[in-house]
Amino acid sequence: MNSELWIEKVSRQVKGVFWSRTAQRIKVVVIGRNISEGLLAKLILYGLLTIVAYLYLQPILYMISTALKNLSDLLDPTVTWIPRVITWDNVSDAFRGLQYMDALKNTAIIAISCSLIQVLICAMTGYALAKLSIPFKGLFTALVILTFLIPPQIIIIPLYVIYSKLSLLNTPFVFLIPAFFGQGLKSALFILIFRQFFKSQPLSLEEAAKLDGASTLRLFFGIMLPLARSACLVVFLFSFIWYWNMYYEPQWFLAKDFTPLSIRLDQLEDVLNPSLLGQRNTIENPVTEGAKMAAAFLIIFPPIIVFMFLQRWFVTGIERTGIVE
Amino acid sequence: MSQAKVIAKQRRLYFTKRYGIGLLFLLPWLIGFCVFVAIPIGWSLFMSLHKVAVVPGGFKYDWIGMKNFRAAFVTDNIFPIELITYFQQMLLMVPMIVIFALLISLMLNQRFPGRFIYRAIFFLPVIFATGQVLSELFSQGAGEIPFLEQYNLEPLINQYVGKQFTEIIMVVLSRAILILWYSGVQILIFIAGFQTISPSIYEAVRIDGASPWDSFWKITLPASIPFISLNVLYTIIDLFTFPLNPVLKHIKDNMFKIETGYGYASALAWIYFGFIFVLIALVLLLFNRSMNTRRSR
Repeated sequence: MNSELWIEKVSRQVKGVFWSRTAQRIKVVVIGRNISEGLLAKLILYGLLTIVAYLYLQPILYMISTALKNLSDLLDPTVTWIPRVITWDNVSDAFRGLQYMDALKNTAIIAISCSLIQVLICAMTGYALAKLSIPFKGLFTALVILTFLIPPQIIIIPLYVIYSKLSLLNTPFVFLIPAFFGQGLKSALFILIFRQFFKSQPLSLEEAAKLDGASTLRLFFGIMLPLARSACLVVFLFSFIWYWNMYYEPQWFLAKDFTPLSIRLDQLEDVLNPSLLGQRNTIENPVTEGAKMAAAFLIIFPPIIVFMFLQRWFVTGIERTGIVE
Repeated sequence: MSQAKVIAKQRRLYFTKRYGIGLLFLLPWLIGFCVFVAIPIGWSLFMSLHKVAVVPGGFKYDWIGMKNFRAAFVTDNIFPIELITYFQQMLLMVPMIVIFALLISLMLNQRFPGRFIYRAIFFLPVIFATGQVLSELFSQGAGEIPFLEQYNLEPLINQYVGKQFTEIIMVVLSRAILILWYSGVQILIFIAGFQTISPSIYEAVRIDGASPWDSFWKITLPASIPFISLNVLYTIIDLFTFPLNPVLKHIKDNMFKIETGYGYASALAWIYFGFIFVLIALVLLLFNRSMNTRRSR
C-alpha cells in the first residue's frame, strides 16, 4: 500500500514536471527568453506598428481617394474612402493645369543637377575640414554650423537683390550657383555628414597613399570619394528630395517662365478656374479639390519611385556613414 | 635680394605648401559663404536698423536705430502673440516628436520579418513632409487623426492642465499627424545611432540576468543621449522653417506692407532668430552638462 501511494506520488510529480515543462515551453514561445523574441511581443509589435503606419499613410490614402472621386462623390458625405465611380478626370485636369511634363523637366533639372553638385562640393569641404590643414579650422567649422541655423527669411531679400543684379532670376542658375559654392539647400548638414565620415577614416590609409606618391587631389578623388559611396548616396537622396519639394525659395526666385512643380501646384486653382481668381483663400472649392489632390500625387510620384528603388541602400547607407557618431 | 625678402618668400612658400591644398578644397565654400551668407546677413542687419523704402532703381534707407525692434513689441499687436504661441507649441511638439521617433525606432530596430516594409513606410514622409504638398493636404484637413474629434478631449484637458494650456494642446493634437510625419529623419538618426551600440554589451548584461527593460534603461537610453540631443536640435531647426509657421507668414506679410517694409520685416526675422538661438543654446548647454556629469563619474 505504501508502495502504491509512493508510485502515485511519483507519477504525480512526473506529471507535474511534464506540465510545468510544457508551460515553460509555451511561455518561451509566447513571451520568449528575451521579451523581444516572444510571439506575444511580436504580435504587440506588429499591432502597434500597423496602427501607426495606418495613421502615417492616412493622408496619402486620402490624397489618392480624393484624386479619384468625381464631383458628386466629393460632395456626398456618405462616401468616405472608396469612390462610387472612379474617375480619371482629376488626374488629367491636374496634368493639364500643372503643365506636368514641362514642370517635371524644370524640377528634375534643378533637383538632379543641384544634388550632384552638392555631393561633390560638400564632400570637398567636409574633407578639408576633417583632414587637411587649414588656418582657423575651428572657426570655419563653427561658421558651417551657423549657416545651418540662419533662417532663409533673414537673407532672402538681399539674396533676391544679388540674384537680380547678376540677372539670374527665373533661371536654374539661381540654385546651381549657390550649390556650387557650397551654399545650397541644407548644405551645412551635408558638409557635417561628410566631415564626420572622413574623420572616422584611419590616418594610416592616407599615409600609405602618400608614401606611394599620391597627391592630395588624387587621394581624394581616387580613394576617399569612392570610400564615401554610402555617404554620397545619402547626401544625394536627401538633397534630391529637398530640392524637389522646396517651395519657399522658388516662390521668390522663380516667379515666371521657369517654375517647378511646387509653384505650379500653388497656381493650379487659378489656372483651372480663372473665374475664381482672388477668392481662393476665402472658400474651399470642392471643384478643384480633387484636381489638387491629383496634382499633389503627381508631384510626389517621381521621388516615391526613386525612393522605392534606393530605399534599402539608403537605410544601410545611413547606418554606415556614421552620421551620428 | 635682401634677407627680409628671402625670408618672406620662404614663409609664403611654406604657407602655400602647408595650407594651399586645404584652402583650395575649401575655396568654393569660402566664396559662397562670403557672397551668399555674410553679405546678405550684414545687409539684412543694416536694413533692420533703417526704414527701407523701395524707390525706382533701388532702396532708400532712413536711419531709425532700434525703432523697428521696439515697434515689434510695442506697436505690433500680432507679432509678440504669434511668436509666443508658436514657441509654446514648439516646446510641446519637440519632445513629442523626439519621443515618438525614439519609440518607433526602438520597435523598428527589433528583428522581425517584414521590417523592411515597415521601415520603408516610416521613411516615406521624408519624401514629402516638406513643402507645398504638405500644406495643401493640411488646408484640406487631411492631417487630423480621425478619431481624435470623436472624443471630446477639450474639457478633459481643461480639467487637468488648466485653461491657458488647453488651446495650445488642442492645436498640437490637431496636428498629430504632422508630429508623426516630422519624425522621419529623426527615426533614421536613432536607428543609425542604435547600430553604434555594440551587441556584445547586450549579450553580456543578458548573461548577467538583466531583463530587456533593464537593458533599455541602463544601456540603450544612456548610449542614445547624444542622438537625442542631435534630434532635439534637428527638430527645432526643422520646425523653425516649417511651411505652416504663422510667424514666418507674418514676417512675409510685413515685407510687402508699405508702412512697414523690408526694414521692419528684417527686424522681425532677427528677433525670431534670436529666440531660436537662445533655445538652441539652452539645449546644447543642457545636454553638454548631462553628458559631462556622466563622463566624470
